[in-house]
Parts: sequence; structure tokens; C-alpha cells
Amino acid sequence: MDKKKYRLALTAIAGAMFLTAAPASADGNVQCKSGPAKNWKPIAKMKKKVWLEGWELLKLQVEGDCYEVYARNESGQSIEAFFHPVTLEKLVVYRRGSEIYRSSNFPK
Amino acid sequence: MNRYAAKGLLWIILAIPGILMAWGLSQGDVLAMDLLHPSGEMSIRLMIFAMLAGPLSEFFGVGRFFRARLAIRRNLGVAAFGYAILHLAFYFLDMHDVAAVWDELSIAGIWTGWLALIPMIPPASISFDNAMRKLGRKWKLIQRLVYAALIVSLVHWLLLDWDWWPAFIHLAPLMIAWSLRWLGPRRKASLSRSL
Repeated sequence: MDKKKYRLALTAIAGAMFLTAAPASADGNVQCKSGPAKNWKPIAKMKKKVWLEGWELLKLQVEGDCYEVYARNESGQSIEAFFHPVTLEKLVVYRRGSEIYRSSNFPK
Repeated sequence: MNRYAAKGLLWIILAIPGILMAWGLSQGDVLAMDLLHPSGEMSIRLMIFAMLAGPLSEFFGVGRFFRARLAIRRNLGVAAFGYAILHLAFYFLDMHDVAAVWDELSIAGIWTGWLALIPMIPPASISFDNAMRKLGRKWKLIQRLVYAALIVSLVHWLLLDWDWWPAFIHLAPLMIAWSLRWLGPRRKASLSRSL
């Protein structure tokens, strides 16, 4: 391959990376539309909810307007889940960046 | 400062983030899963830092600054591999057992991480003077595997985070450096082959 074609190919690869890099949904940008924090259920309730799911809780934090849970599920899989802070409904669950559960009340 | 002292100091500086990560983990301040991101990011940053030296020195000319950058480039590459291994170690610590690691292998965000590690192994394993002398022109060719390692590493990152801005910000300096290389005067073409 001559140098010009080689450069063109590299540019194409870089361009393709830019295009494919724009994701349809970003788990870093999950929005729960949960309203003011004063109406949220307390963290302790959230912890109990995780326990009821049968998960081993690794980390629980507020991410944007959601409760974000890092846990191991009953199969021992590492998961990242987002819960609605008011209803404590499980909205979406990711396993290493792949979506494995989404609530029917929480469309993309 | 003599050559060995300078090299020792460089390696101390390169090791500090890793030591801090391991210290935080040993003290229970952070979980292994909290260190996956910083260790992986550190590996990519070092890879990019090493890869910038060539194209930038081609464009700006090999002055004193770039001569130093070129001289430490090989160390940066080895350190990038070191942080990739540390990243893998944190991953194993987070997963607890090999069966769980095996179970995750089919996930795109995970197998791309393993795939990114493969092209890093040959360049890192020949990063010593004797190998350079023995391999001659082939040495440079093998080092180019880092391009594949970087691209797959960035894909690995994107598939896990689904947030392309951090990856883009990391890639931007390299894109600029590559553009400069392509825009650079043709008279430097003969020099570029040697860098």
C-alpha cells in the first residue's frame, strides 16, 4: 500500500472510531427524573431493597438524580444498577457495560 | 545527574500512581473495582504520551526537549504495559475467582480488554537494548503494535463506559500530532523514517 492510501486508511479508521464512539445510550448519563432530593427515600431503604434483590452490595451512591448500586447478583455477576430514588424501582442494570435488564417503565 | 540516577528517578515518578493505588487498596480506602478505571486510564495515558514523541519531534525538529522525550519513550511504553497488568490484577481481585473471570469473557467490554493486552506483549518484551540491536529494523516494526493496542484499548473503554468524551479527549493530542506529521514539510520525510 502506498503512503497516500495508508494515510487515507488511517484517517478512515479514526473517522469510523469517532462515529461508532457516539453511543445510543450512555450509562453514565442515566436520568431518573426523580425531582427534588427531599422527596427521595432514605439510603437505608435502598440498601434493604438491594438485600431483597438477593444481591451482595459493593457500593451505593447518588449518581445524578438516581441511586446507583454496584453489586454482585445471586449468580455472582458484577453488576451496576440504577434505581429510582422515590419509588425505589429497579430501572436499568448493566453488566460490564452491557445492558441486562431494563424496566418497561423506563424506555430508552 | 548521571544516566542511571535519571532513569531511577523517572521510574520512581512513573510508579507513584501505582503505589498510591495499591496503598489505598491495602488500607481499605478503596475497593479493587474503584481502581479499574484509574489504572486502565493511566496505561492509555502513558501509551499516548509515548506515541506523541515521534510525530511531534518530526514536526518541530529534534531539539533538546524532544531528544529527551524520545530517549524516555521506551520507558513510557513499558510503564503503560505495567499499568495494564496492574489493571488486570485489580480486575482479578475484584472478581475473586477465575471462574467468574471466565464467565465474563463473552462480554464485549471484557474480551476487548484481553484483546488489547495481546499486542502490548511483544513491544514490551523486547524493550531492552540487546533486543533492539538484534532485531534492527524489525524492532521498530514490532513497536508499531502499540497502535493496535491503543485502538482496542479505547474500544474496551467505550464499551464499558458508553461515554465517548473521555476517550476522545485522550485521543485528541495524538490526532493533532498525527495531523501535524501529515501536514509537515516533505523535506523531513527522510528524518521521519529514522524516528
